[in-house]
Amino acid sequence: MWSRERPSRPCFSTPPFDPRFPNQNQTRNCYQNFLDYHRCVKNMDRRGRNPEACEYYQRVFRALCPKSWVQRWTDQLEEGTFAGKI
Amino acid sequence: MTHQMHAYHMVNPSPWPLTGALSALLITSGLMMWFHSNSIFLLVLGLITNILTMFQWWRDIIREGTFQGHHTPIVQKGLRYGMILFIISEVLFFTGFFWAFYHSSLVPTTELGGYWPPAGIKPLNPLEVPLLNTAVLLASGVSVTWAHHSILEKDRINAIQALIVTISLGLYFTLLQIMEYYESPFTIADSVYGSTFFMATGFHGFHVIIGSSFLFICLMRQLKFHFTSNHHFGFEAAAWYWHFVDVVWLFLYVSIYWWGS
Repeated sequence: MWSRERPSRPCFSTPPFDPRFPNQNQTRNCYQNFLDYHRCVKNMDRRGRNPEACEYYQRVFRALCPKSWVQRWTDQLEEGTFAGKI
Repeated sequence: MTHQMHAYHMVNPSPWPLTGALSALLITSGLMMWFHSNSIFLLVLGLITNILTMFQWWRDIIREGTFQGHHTPIVQKGLRYGMILFIISEVLFFTGFFWAFYHSSLVPTTELGGYWPPAGIKPLNPLEVPLLNTAVLLASGVSVTWAHHSILEKDRINAIQALIVTISLGLYFTLLQIMEYYESPFTIADSVYGSTFFMATGFHGFHVIIGSSFLFICLMRQLKFHFTSNHHFGFEAAAWYWHFVDVVWLFLYVSIYWWGS
């Protein structure tokens, strides 16, 4: 049984520990990365550079945030009613 | 004829505690009728009975103290303790509203944009009318002290003048605040900012009106020669209350108007 070949494992990772948000309530971690992603994209577009570098932030908030929050904030951004400063 | 062998005041039976309690019931139920059943009758009845109770109860206290001599030093001590404890309870009342303000403003939620003042709120400039209001109340604190010293020094004219100045400054503050409320770009409905702002400043303004009314009664009593240079506790109580109102404003100004902008 133990001689069977192990299937190759896909790579799952999770956001690393962020000392800015050390406590159990990670809301701010989610929100900050959401803000940072959109600010990054906005600045990269403004400078005419590739927004691929912003992908890190997107992966973090997609891992941390409830999907409903991301959906709500994205809708607000499209409507122009998002409260955060981008 | 029997006399009391002690210096305390055994108060005669009085209907005012009962009418006061009934008026409180009418006011609270009247508020509910006004909010939910579109009827202002109970509320108005409650307010009228409340004002009548206050007028008659405090009139009786003045009669007992000033005209009948029941307010011996030990009785006065009890009244002092009473006023101090009441003011402490008011401090705790305002502490609640300050707690609410700091809770909401120190960790602003994502709905507000994560910052304070929240998204879309244009706070009032603390260096404009709010600063004038601060000067007005501080000056009124000086004038009420002037009034007290005048009473202590048996200076009738100065006591009257100083009380008039204090009351006028109180009215000026109230008028300025009413104008600010009218011209304000935000309302009580504008997020938790509006709620904390108007609850805290609104109750403060209400207390300014109470304090001004108390001082006005003192002016009337001073005109009618009720106060002597060594017995004028009604005035002292009004002055303590007025200083309390001033201190609350200073906290409001620093916390909400200045830091909160």
